[in-house]
Amino acid sequence: MKIEILVYAYLAVCLAMIAFNIVCIFLFSRNDREIESHRLYFVSLIRAQFFRDEIEESHRKMLIKRLQKVREMMSFDKSLEILSKDHPDEVREYLRKLDNVFITLNNMYSHKNEVQFAYFPYIISRYNLFKGEDLPQINACLFQLLQKPSVYSRENALNALYSIGISKNVAEALKVLDKTGFYHHKKLITDGLLTFSGDKHELNECLWDNLPQYSLNVQLAILDYFRFSSDKYQERMFKLLNEQHNCEIHYCAIRYLGRYPYQPAYDKLIYYAENEDDMHWEYASISCFALASYPGNRTVAVLKNKLCSHNWYVRLNASQSLEQLGLEYADFVDIYEGHDRYAGEMIRYRFDHKKLSEKGAASI
Amino acid sequence: MRFFLFSDEVFEFIKVFLIIVEIFFGAYLVGYSTFLFIAVVTGSSSLYRKRQQDRLKSTILKDHYIPISIIVPAYNEDVTIVENVRSLLTLDYPLYEIIVVDDGSKDETSAKLIEAFDMLPIRRPIQQKIKCQPMEFVYEATTRKVPLTLIRKKNGGKADSLNMGINACKYPYFICIDADSVLQSDSLSKIVKPVLENENVVAVGGAIRPSNSVEIKNGKVINYRLPRNILACMQVLEYDRSFLASRILFDKYNGSMIISGAFGLFKKETVIMAGGYDATTMGEDMELVVKLHDFCVSNDLPYLIRYATDAICWSQVPESIKDLSKQRRRWHIGLFQSMWKHRVMLANPKFGLISFISYFYFLIYELLSPFIEIFGILCMVLAFLVDLINVPFMLLFFAIYALFGSVMSMTAFFARTQTIDLKLTLRDVLKALLLCTIEICALRFVLAWVRATAFIGYRKRKLNWGRIERKKINLE
Repeated sequence: MKIEILVYAYLAVCLAMIAFNIVCIFLFSRNDREIESHRLYFVSLIRAQFFRDEIEESHRKMLIKRLQKVREMMSFDKSLEILSKDHPDEVREYLRKLDNVFITLNNMYSHKNEVQFAYFPYIISRYNLFKGEDLPQINACLFQLLQKPSVYSRENALNALYSIGISKNVAEALKVLDKTGFYHHKKLITDGLLTFSGDKHELNECLWDNLPQYSLNVQLAILDYFRFSSDKYQERMFKLLNEQHNCEIHYCAIRYLGRYPYQPAYDKLIYYAENEDDMHWEYASISCFALASYPGNRTVAVLKNKLCSHNWYVRLNASQSLEQLGLEYADFVDIYEGHDRYAGEMIRYRFDHKKLSEKGAASI
Repeated sequence: MRFFLFSDEVFEFIKVFLIIVEIFFGAYLVGYSTFLFIAVVTGSSSLYRKRQQDRLKSTILKDHYIPISIIVPAYNEDVTIVENVRSLLTLDYPLYEIIVVDDGSKDETSAKLIEAFDMLPIRRPIQQKIKCQPMEFVYEATTRKVPLTLIRKKNGGKADSLNMGINACKYPYFICIDADSVLQSDSLSKIVKPVLENENVVAVGGAIRPSNSVEIKNGKVINYRLPRNILACMQVLEYDRSFLASRILFDKYNGSMIISGAFGLFKKETVIMAGGYDATTMGEDMELVVKLHDFCVSNDLPYLIRYATDAICWSQVPESIKDLSKQRRRWHIGLFQSMWKHRVMLANPKFGLISFISYFYFLIYELLSPFIEIFGILCMVLAFLVDLINVPFMLLFFAIYALFGSVMSMTAFFARTQTIDLKLTLRDVLKALLLCTIEICALRFVLAWVRATAFIGYRKRKLNWGRIERKKINLE
């Protein structure tokens, strides 16, 4: 084959690509105009329904017919977004009355391609549809989406479940997520759980009960979620700390007990801080950090001792905790005059930084 | 007509030689055009898919923030440094710190920063996880929501400054950016997305776009035009081809071998384990990425190096041929040093596609290409002298080559419309059409010559910052 023929073939495809991009420019701009004009249309139709006791049947039928198309759904989304600014209660009430319409649409969207399918859960979470309702058809679709490889689809499904707010479904969804084997960042799970709109206490209990059944990644996400959501679990966290677990679980428990002090855990934290192990220096480091919530002479003595640790992070956290415990420059004369220059530098920086921050705050 | 008369043996030898050359160039051209073709088509269609996903909210919508340290190495940057830091302070991201490392500047870089941000001196202990030149002083600003630190150290080069920044930063991921670059306000939330998608991501490259002639307000582009300067304009086309095409292709099989020093995110722990930036090379950005591949594969660590097409950094490109030549010489030497240092990756099945596609591409079509192109021109001259060339066919072939290159550039140029934030004007399209041909027919050969001669006198310039003329950043 002559080379120039191959090059001509490539040229043809690239010219087609340019044509495709140019067509895209026009299509996108036409779509945007169309979405905008349909948005205006939807706004007027929705407004007309605000003051009726029941939504008109013709309106329901029209919605089912039109919203099957993704572009129409985008216009509908935009019109709701605009209306929500001035009439949030009316929009909420209007959507509540349309549950059946959305159940039908949900079924239709579940047969579309993955990206379009994932758009529907976005609408559910965006407008808090089906709040507090445990609907098998909806759950089935959301669980189906949870098994897709795209993290974005899974996130949209999870967000819909958080906004619906049924605890057992969220707990179940995390199990489904585990079964797929796809990695889902624990931060996404932790932050997502914090947005749960239902009974938080019920969710927490449900998650505790199911905790051993989850993968390590999900367990860590849930424990982090507890740290940001409730102070009621000191006892259980302490229990976790005393049981055989992955060290990451122990770190989460220590962090929790640092945020919400629990006196029975004190000796354990002191033990971890004092008995620094090269292989597991994180125990000492995180415990030094947690001890900031346990004032007392013993704590100060242990932390001062840890200022001389050969591990940088242990020293850093000890100095930070000592500062938080309200100690002053004068309390560290023995350190400054001692043989460990690094310990002196670390604590001096902590206090200089505090002074600088106070100066900065005063100048604002 | 032959210009020289040779004996039959010599003529036969030249003939055989030129046949071999012809075969070689045939294969070379097929390889290059195939790569470029696949890259441009893949890049263009990926961007289209991504745009569709964004329109249908198939993206991470909530604010899941991962704390980030931004490291800004600076050497004699008093013209741009204050504006640069000011723009960094307004990024739309809640948890980040800025660390400026002044590499012993001879101008007012440190003084200007201290004055502009009311910084105060502090004795800060810094752990030397990676070896670097000693620090001279540290200043911190405490009057803003974003912690700002200035570290001045003894001169040691850009890589050395970045190593100091890594030692000083407190968050698990760091970003390195050039002191003359501006980040778009949403660029941090975009560049961390790959980290949220996969736990094995150790580095993410951002998209670099020339900022000449761009107006930016509060981290958003308010006016975009192709630069007036022809050289800068041709570099826009070149950047489009490189960032919107080939890097997307490399990203498909974890084969990126370069993350621009102007904007990249790295996992601190992995970079420290790999030994940080190499202060003895000129292309420290490429060397680090190649090193990460080498380190992770050699130690059986799962890893991914990704490219975020929508994390945009606006950076100034040279507007004079002198500055451009200086920059390209540095890049070429850096490329050679990185590839030579990690030559274990050449044709090594352990490295998979990185070895057989990325490494070969960089070796043949980047590192050796200027020599091959110049060799090609010399062979054409020789063939012309011995009357073994079909001149009309040669001109036709050259025209096809130029047309092909131009079409590729234009395909990448139009693909930018899929990146939502930019709109094209008819004037810009016409300008691009005209300049892409000039770029292929003229600039490419000038730069080939510059790169081929890059090694002359490089020892003298080994560790300097390779400065180009800076202009004030156009921030409203």
